[in-house]
Amino acid sequence: MSHPVDSSVSPGRRRALVLLVNGAVAAIGGALSALLGVFALKPAAAASRDRWIRAGALSDLEPSVPAVRVLVVPRIDGWYRARAPQTVFLVWDGKKDVRAVSATCTHLGCQVHWDGKDHKFRCPCHGGVYDPSGKVLEGPPPRPLDSLDARIDSADDTVLVRL
Amino acid sequence: MIGRLIDWLHDRTGIRTIREVLFDEPLPPGTGWFFTLGSVLLALIGIQVLTGAFLTLYYAPTPDHAYDSVRFISSTTAGRLVRGLHHFGASFIVVAAALHMLRVIGFGSYKPPRELTWLSGLGALGLILAFALTGYLLPWDQRAYWATVVTINISKLAPVAGDVVAGIMRGGSAIGALTLTRWYAAHVIFLPAILIAIVAAHLVLMRRQGISGPVRTHKGPSTAFFPAQTARDVTVVSIVVIALFVLAWRGMPAMEGPADPTDATFIPRPEWYFLGLFQLLKYFPGKLEVVGAIIIPTVLGALLALLPWLDRGPERDPRRRRVVTVGVLVGVVAVVALTTLGWRDKPASAAAADTWSMRAIGGRQFAANAKCARCHSESGMADPLEQVSMSRGPEWLAGHVADPEMIAPGLREPPAAVTEREAAALVAYVRQVTREPYPGYPQPIETAAGVWARYCVGCHVIDGDGGSDGPELSHIGSKHDTAALREWIVDPEAAKPDTDMPAFGKRLTAAQLDAIAQYLANRK
Repeated sequence: MSHPVDSSVSPGRRRALVLLVNGAVAAIGGALSALLGVFALKPAAAASRDRWIRAGALSDLEPSVPAVRVLVVPRIDGWYRARAPQTVFLVWDGKKDVRAVSATCTHLGCQVHWDGKDHKFRCPCHGGVYDPSGKVLEGPPPRPLDSLDARIDSADDTVLVRL
Repeated sequence: MIGRLIDWLHDRTGIRTIREVLFDEPLPPGTGWFFTLGSVLLALIGIQVLTGAFLTLYYAPTPDHAYDSVRFISSTTAGRLVRGLHHFGASFIVVAAALHMLRVIGFGSYKPPRELTWLSGLGALGLILAFALTGYLLPWDQRAYWATVVTINISKLAPVAGDVVAGIMRGGSAIGALTLTRWYAAHVIFLPAILIAIVAAHLVLMRRQGISGPVRTHKGPSTAFFPAQTARDVTVVSIVVIALFVLAWRGMPAMEGPADPTDATFIPRPEWYFLGLFQLLKYFPGKLEVVGAIIIPTVLGALLALLPWLDRGPERDPRRRRVVTVGVLVGVVAVVALTTLGWRDKPASAAAADTWSMRAIGGRQFAANAKCARCHSESGMADPLEQVSMSRGPEWLAGHVADPEMIAPGLREPPAAVTEREAAALVAYVRQVTREPYPGYPQPIETAAGVWARYCVGCHVIDGDGGSDGPELSHIGSKHDTAALREWIVDPEAAKPDTDMPAFGKRLTAAQLDAIAQYLANRK
């Protein structure tokens, strides 16, 4: 099929019409693409905020022995309200101070466990070893275990951890 | 450079024929603005497909999460816009499809050899309505839920197959998770697949036979679709798309509360393009309902489908096809009239759901007594009551307010005991306070509301809310004054020995008695 050239349209008018068609298609396509791009790439930020979570009674802790606690943390995940379990270790100095250490290995995110015999945290995945304060002793972890804010509620002698 | 790339591709794929097919289509002389409506429809369908596809990035088709996910989508400007485009785009498509069909009828374009183009277009219209219906359920708010209840019940009226059809639409034994996934699948997979096939067939047929052109043949050579007619199409499409963006920008109709099968205060109304049908049903009460719901729409659909065979002559001028022209005009007037009547026929009590009920006001006091704020606060474990997500079903909420320990074990001390009626009032309060801040009522009204929500509501109705064992009290003040009402509440048997109402003289304080009697006396 040959290209029938529309003889009713003068060259100047033709140029204007082509410009109109191309411009309108580009404008609509551009607006839609921009909108859908923003929509896909920038969802509403999750509005989770830190809360002080009760992690247990002080009387259950032994001085300087990390005690494992699984805390249930409310998390806002887009439209979903999750109750995410998170493992922390509580370390009490025997007096007025308590520290909380995250159980997540800083290497690749496995959960470390407390080796009571050696008095060390060990990661089961790639051999990371930490001392009771969370400092790296051996293996690939790039930095110490994350410490979390913790305090003792003097009203009822329970430990609060901020997550 | 680009030309050489296209040459290379053309040698291997024949890609340039696409251009010939799309843009070099020969048009009869005199083709003009009336023939832009098909392109408008195509553009709008494209926008629906795109926005719909992107909405599935965030939408979750489950009763527990659908409402939350739609609210999440609406929480950003881009999300509101995308949802707005999709929402109003549906209405635009219905209008554009109707206008396109009227143009085809007016120009007699369905006549041979275009009968199948006509039928495929009619099929596409049916699909568009099916899209509207299935999409309407997805936000899972009150409006969505109740519109679907009505739709499924209408389908039951169909002779012979009614119950089977309703069962297929419902999925499960009641409207719920299985209905939602079913309608979602239909809306995003099955209907689009069929629509694409039908639209493709429609376009292939249109291109094969060429468009019908003006009613009277104009003199002169045929012209190409590009650029003159393309420019007309693009101009109208641009105007329509700009209007759509403006509507979407100005905002969605607000979401109702989440779907609640027990809520009797909600008055369902369909989307505007079904209002005509909705109004028609009102004229066919009882056993005749099937006439309005099934028979009339089916007969109209059949008449439209048979149009090319009913109107056989070669004449295309609407002025010389009086029967068809008058029939269609009558049909249009009827649809417009029914839609307008349906639009205006708003039940008066629809507004009552937006004001604070006595139960909700009373629930606020129970919330304070039950110390909800111990957990539901800015620094607490859970969101403040004003911000909680009310997407859970009524059973969950009742269970939670009666015993928060059950829902969130180990997170707090055992709660204060809450009675069933207090629980109902708490749910009513939270449902209301998440929609609008507490406006503040005078102390006597609050006191009366506490009494009402704990005792009276079990047997009496005010503004459509309450039990039915005792008389309705919405206008009791026009019959009795404060003193008489107070005496009656203190000891009903003193006034009427055979009454079933218990005496409240010992259960309520003097202040409570004064407040409730005064409140009821003011209900005129």
